[in-house]
Amino acid sequence: MAKVQVLNVAVLDNPSPFGNPFQFEITFECMEDLPEDLEWKIIYVGSAESEEYDQTLDSVLVGPVPAGRHMFVFQADAPNTGLIPESDAVGVTVALITCTYRGQEFIRIGYYVNNEYTDPELRENPPVKPDYTQLQRNILASNPRVTRFHINWEGCAEKMEDSENVDPAPNSAGSSSGMLPPSSCLPGKALPVGLLPDNSMDFL
Amino acid sequence: MKLLKPSWVGHNGKPIFSVDIHPDGTKFATGGQGEDSGKVVIWNMTPVLREEAEKNEATPKMLCQMDNHLACVNCVRWSNNGQYLASGGDDKLVMVWKRATFIGPSTVFGSSSKLANVEQWRCVTILRNHTGDVMDVAWSPHDVWLASCSVDNTVVVWNARKFPEIVTSLRGHTGLVKGLTWDPVGKYIASQADDHSLKVWRTMDWQQETNITKPFNECGGTTHVLRLSWSPDGQYLVSAHAMNNSGPTAQIIERDGWKTNMDFVGHRKAVTVVKFNPKIFKKKQKNGSSPKPSCPYCCCAVGSKDRSLSVWLTSLKRPLVVIHDLFDKSIMDISWTLNGLGILVCSMDGTVAYLDFSQDELGDPLNEDEKNAIHHNIYGKSLAITTEAQLSTTIIENPEMLKYQQERQREELARQSLPREAQAHKLTSVVNGESLEDIRKNLLKKQVETRTADGRRRITPLCIAQLDTGDFSPALFNSVPILPGSVTQLPSQLSSDSNTATSLGLRHSQEPMSTPAGGKSQDDAKDGVSSGLAQANSTALKSNLLLTASTKMEPMKALDSRFTERSKATPGASISSMAGLVPLDSTLKESKPKEETSSDSEDKMTVARSLSFKRKPHDPDGGDNQVEKRKKGRPRKSDQKMMTPGSGPPLQQVTRATTLFARTAARAMSTWWAILFYCYVSMEPPVYLEVENEFSTVSGAKLSQLRCSREGREWDTLLPSRVISAAGSSDIVAVACVDRMLSVFSACGRRLLPAILLPGPMSTLHCSGFYVMALTACATLSVWDVQKQSALVRNESLQTILSGTECTVTQSLLTQQGVPVISLSSGKSYCFNFSLETWNLIADKQDLLVQCADFRNCLSSQDTAVSHGPLAVMQGRCLNAGRLASRLSSTPHSLQQGMTLAFLENQLASALILRSSVEYRYWLLIYARFLVNEGSDYRLRELCKDLLGPVHKSASSAWEPTTLGLRKRDLLKELLPVIGQNLRFQRLFTEYQDQLELLRGK
Repeated sequence: MAKVQVLNVAVLDNPSPFGNPFQFEITFECMEDLPEDLEWKIIYVGSAESEEYDQTLDSVLVGPVPAGRHMFVFQADAPNTGLIPESDAVGVTVALITCTYRGQEFIRIGYYVNNEYTDPELRENPPVKPDYTQLQRNILASNPRVTRFHINWEGCAEKMEDSENVDPAPNSAGSSSGMLPPSSCLPGKALPVGLLPDNSMDFL
Repeated sequence: MKLLKPSWVGHNGKPIFSVDIHPDGTKFATGGQGEDSGKVVIWNMTPVLREEAEKNEATPKMLCQMDNHLACVNCVRWSNNGQYLASGGDDKLVMVWKRATFIGPSTVFGSSSKLANVEQWRCVTILRNHTGDVMDVAWSPHDVWLASCSVDNTVVVWNARKFPEIVTSLRGHTGLVKGLTWDPVGKYIASQADDHSLKVWRTMDWQQETNITKPFNECGGTTHVLRLSWSPDGQYLVSAHAMNNSGPTAQIIERDGWKTNMDFVGHRKAVTVVKFNPKIFKKKQKNGSSPKPSCPYCCCAVGSKDRSLSVWLTSLKRPLVVIHDLFDKSIMDISWTLNGLGILVCSMDGTVAYLDFSQDELGDPLNEDEKNAIHHNIYGKSLAITTEAQLSTTIIENPEMLKYQQERQREELARQSLPREAQAHKLTSVVNGESLEDIRKNLLKKQVETRTADGRRRITPLCIAQLDTGDFSPALFNSVPILPGSVTQLPSQLSSDSNTATSLGLRHSQEPMSTPAGGKSQDDAKDGVSSGLAQANSTALKSNLLLTASTKMEPMKALDSRFTERSKATPGASISSMAGLVPLDSTLKESKPKEETSSDSEDKMTVARSLSFKRKPHDPDGGDNQVEKRKKGRPRKSDQKMMTPGSGPPLQQVTRATTLFARTAARAMSTWWAILFYCYVSMEPPVYLEVENEFSTVSGAKLSQLRCSREGREWDTLLPSRVISAAGSSDIVAVACVDRMLSVFSACGRRLLPAILLPGPMSTLHCSGFYVMALTACATLSVWDVQKQSALVRNESLQTILSGTECTVTQSLLTQQGVPVISLSSGKSYCFNFSLETWNLIADKQDLLVQCADFRNCLSSQDTAVSHGPLAVMQGRCLNAGRLASRLSSTPHSLQQGMTLAFLENQLASALILRSSVEYRYWLLIYARFLVNEGSDYRLRELCKDLLGPVHKSASSAWEPTTLGLRKRDLLKELLPVIGQNLRFQRLFTEYQDQLELLRGK
């Protein structure tokens, strides 16, 4: 049983210009006092093609965490545009919030992110070289994809049992079960855009 | 019989492994597979029972879903009282859920369904012990125990009153244990496993009663579960999957001799679940039939892998009904409604079916009384009440008891009837008077962000609510929140009690130069530098903060004790104290040679120790500061003279001394170069002493002057030698001189005694009321009662408490009752009892008992924590720390219980010997609550007996009607409601209630 339950993530400052920092207001509940800090990360998936373009925007430690309900705002700078393949700058990608305890990831919250030009002109004829100043980032806040992993809350990572870590009902990518395969796959792998579930793309 | 398959009950098509109907019949729980976790769902029963409710959109169907299990949930079971739900799953865990009343509707974050949870069920305990999947859980009758069985071949019995305490682990099965059932009278528990055996265990000693293997020899381990069941009359135990002549059966095992002669036959595949109807039935009396009473019988439902369900009456040879093809897959669990007329059945195919019977079909259910009568007939009264008694059916024998019980119920009701929404609103939207919206707006700005040593960002999350069930109480309703692990909370906790204590510190740091005001220091204000002193003066005038009596304190401790002293000091009876210090030169001169010689002789150790004791003022935080401060504050007297002994301490601590001044001012201010010093006796009314050494020189002899200002009236007197320390109380003033003379004056300056010659130079001097306490440099202690002109303690050597350890005296005080208390650097504090003539240990910071005692649930919200009183001063905050530590440690309950008991008895005895009546009463109530909670009959009885005393007066009785000025019978009167809270003690309650009543009549 996970000692930490994420109760809510509110996406602040959304939609916003591409260069604005990401802001997530995270509410979580902890069942027992945690002797160690939680580590939260925001990962921006630069390209669906390869995780090589994933950027960890920032990571913070959160603590001390006594039993109870807590909230904090996790703010991280916008992605480094230099690391994003030009072809992937506009369109749908993914931002991930992960939380680890004692080096073990126990929750992964994925959001679809749509980057598009606000100017209809640019939208019609996007420049070859993306103009990030004109891009608007829209996080699909209403549809987070949450994947939880079983970790060993008492000890360290090595006692993990793989069998329990596997999704009991394995799904092909894109099903409603989880945004991403469990941690047996390398983190940060995004879904091919074509496989996105229909309901998640309301705003497209 | 009606049959219904509510299509809306399901886990999105995933298997449902378990179903259980709440005892009140309004809801039911299902457990099984969720999307990527185990799932427990609580459903509304009404739409199952009534079609119009099902069609009404406004009627919620799903009440709550919990995705907390990490893997498939195999079993869900409500406790018999309906308060808890236990669930066990493939994640090896048993979780116990309780309804949270303070939190409004919420969704499971990230779940696809947008339905809010109508009810909030929160996991209150996670029971971790199994090393394999948990297959079945079962609550014992009266919810005394919870048993769980697992594929790790064990059955674990948990103490349901003290989760997660394990009562026992039943070992003996050599295969996966897949089913459990309790004997309805609580004498046995039975388990069935894949090892082809069914075992019955006694609850008396948790040993195996019998092992039944024969009917299971042919069985293969082919079923997911083996849910066996015990009949409500206790006479029959029916197993799941058994074999008889190669055919699957449900074996009937008779309680009498564990005979296995009968079985339920007919299913084509293995029986997975057997469930007895909770009711015992008797035949429906038909009009015209003979009124011959029929034998009561039971009813049992059997579910099988063959997807069919059969319902049997023990009075019939054939099943009442068999339903085939109800499901697409194996039946997994069955639950009867409490009225015995409905059953819910769940299946691996993810659906649930409901069967509704009529009384015509099943018969007339016996009511509870008739059922109990059957139990009594078969098992006798004693057995029927072996377990914790059926409290609900226990007769309340006395109207007073009834009154208390009813009051309690009313309170409970009142609490529950508070509008849920309002409570939820309060909690979720307001934290410390700030709405959640406000908090959210500013959260980013307000949250504390730091950098760790390696440069990483670290955010301290904002705690918006504490958990509200189990041990936790909602933060807002608890004036002193216990935040485990956050020692940083302690200061603020303190300050919430005594804002004066913090305002002192704050004011000093924030406005150290503010215009000083108040009494004597006005003329000094012009000096500017005196602000610290004056500040202390003005602040302290209000807050009486200088009444502390310590020679050396850490800041925290200082706040603590200052507060405590303050609250104790009522006008007119204020304590005062003044720790005088031995002149440094004499100390050094006297003790240096001794120190050199004492290294080899054991008997001189005390001297060496008293040396270190005297040296305390050398610490930068200690006396030197005041000296410096003194110099700053009153520079008019020979600055040079004070500076000349340049070997003295440096001046660098001045600023610190300013902030520390209030704390230190009460302490001694005399070292040998101190020419002028004063000390406060009390702040309300303002009383202070001023001593000016070398006031005037008459024919070569130097005279000292003692001035006292009491409520604006001043007196002064002359002393022939240098004063080294002075102290006063509301009644007397005492001064010690360098020539080992102690003089005592009345409040108006009259000399009360000729000078007393002390055996050694004065080290610490305290006054309290008419008591004077003198601690001399040769480590002896004396206490006199000036009013009665008698000695309470006569030159008692400190060797007893100092010997064998390398410790020094860190703090001393004299209580209002004249009890001297001394704490040592080892963390131990002693008081000297003059009637026993013994040193008694009253506090020990290293005491394991303090650290492990857990009596939080015995604290009443009405009692404010006593932080006033000598016991609290001496024990200080280690008490709190102990309470925190206990939450984190995982001591076995019985051990912790013992430690808590021992600790509480220590506290009670210490309060008694310190003659601190407030503390005595406080700890007595906690102790009584603890005894009541733990059911310690003998101790409680003895306590009551002692408090009541003899009812009839007899000359021989040595019983004192009062203790520490508290009337014992009044104390007993206070204890009775506490005792009345536990029905088990109703006899005790009645007994003493009556006797008190009788005595009042006299």
